[in-house]
Amino acid sequence: MNRLAQRLDEAALSRTAIAKLTEETALDVPAAYQVQREVIARREARGEKLIGVKMGFTSRAKMIQMGVDDVIWGLLTDAMLIESHLDTGTLIHPRVEPEIAFLLERPVRSPADVGAAVGGVAVGYEVLDSRFADFSFTLEDVIADNASASGFGLGPWHPPRAVANVGLTLEIDGRTVASGSSAAILGDPMRSLHAAARLAHAAGIELEAGWIVLAGAATAAVPLPPGAHVRVSGQGLGHAEVTT
Amino acid sequence: MTNVQQAAERLLGAHASGQPCEPVRDLVGGVEEAYAVQNWLTDRWLGEGRRLSGRKIGLTSAAVQKQLGVDQPDFGVLFADMAVPDGAEIPAGTVLQPRAEAEVALVLEHDLPHERHTVADVVRATAFALPAIEVVGSRIRGWDITLADTVADNASSGLYVLGNRPVPLKDLDLRLAGMVMERRGEQVSTGIGAACLGHPLHAAVWLADTLARLGRPLRAGDTVLTGALGPVVPVVPGDVLEARIDGLGDVRAAFAKEPYAKEST
Repeated sequence: MNRLAQRLDEAALSRTAIAKLTEETALDVPAAYQVQREVIARREARGEKLIGVKMGFTSRAKMIQMGVDDVIWGLLTDAMLIESHLDTGTLIHPRVEPEIAFLLERPVRSPADVGAAVGGVAVGYEVLDSRFADFSFTLEDVIADNASASGFGLGPWHPPRAVANVGLTLEIDGRTVASGSSAAILGDPMRSLHAAARLAHAAGIELEAGWIVLAGAATAAVPLPPGAHVRVSGQGLGHAEVTT
Repeated sequence: MTNVQQAAERLLGAHASGQPCEPVRDLVGGVEEAYAVQNWLTDRWLGEGRRLSGRKIGLTSAAVQKQLGVDQPDFGVLFADMAVPDGAEIPAGTVLQPRAEAEVALVLEHDLPHERHTVADVVRATAFALPAIEVVGSRIRGWDITLADTVADNASSGLYVLGNRPVPLKDLDLRLAGMVMERRGEQVSTGIGAACLGHPLHAAVWLADTLARLGRPLRAGDTVLTGALGPVVPVVPGDVLEARIDGLGDVRAAFAKEPYAKEST
């Protein structure tokens, strides 16, 4: 596990895509999550702090494409939070997608805690950067690779409100390159939050007060070029922006 | 008989027999000729006493335009007998090869007669918006269509279902309005206002200009189906589809389980 985590960590640090782990090592889902924890442990050892989770495979199309019937998750650290600029030169082959994010104001130990735990909702974007060549991976590979998480940014927080059918656009240099409804996220991003609580409960992890949950993407991910201005808008939620 | 008449007769034959026909692109080459076929059919139907209730805009999504190799939308004619009340059962076989899509419908209270219209003109002319499900269909076998085929075939129109709660445009952010369509609670299509030519009102401006140029302008009272907000969904007998558009509300298209022919035997 340690050796696999090291390969992934070094791939990210050296900006070098690697072959799928599963080409050499048989991994099942629990083992893949163990590798993910090791990858994050290496980041924590460098001083990074856990600040939330991201949900993956939250669209039906993606689940069918990957041949899975459940969502996956990855862990977010403070070093992944993008303020206003991202140097794509530090990444392998970044992609960006529009997201709905939740802010937890109370800890979540099980799905029963979700209802009272949400303190805010926001529109955001996630930057994905698979450490595997050609963004090609199996379910176990992508779990081990922290669900391709690389960075994310958020618009302003809003008081909790229904976000089941929020229109989202992703613009690059002022042109809309992807658009959709938050309904593409499991029918309602709140379901993604419930799934996060379920996975956390099963893994014995507590989603802490102050953590962020990226609920999933409303559209397919789009390649993120250098020298670009990227803006995500959500109905009634404002914008999140980043330059590269 | 001219090529235009021949193409129109072929399409009429499919309407009458309930059996899809071959494409008409062998008879009509360009878009103008295709609209001539559509006009021929429209005039004939008007002559039979059908009441014009509005227009529909088609080919408004980048994906569909790419698929047909076009860079423009198209339009077709709506008749009052094509309107179905929200949730009312649609007899099987009413529309050939039916598919459904969720749209924003605009209902006009003023004419749009100018050669060029602005968004402001369209906003001022619009009384209110309604959520809509358009049931498109093709008289052409297997939906094997080019631009000319679909234009001649009344832009693949079938039926349309309007919601019942009018909403003024000032209360709507149509660009960022989310759309979801479900079948028995299962999501079958999602989308957004921006997917319709960037904004449903932009599609309406295009239609107003185009129709005025052709001498058949939009009139007060017309309903405009502005174009799909998400991917079109194939329909099978028994389907009940519900579409929700954020800010506009919901609307249902309910398809009967069995064709009439089978029920009567």
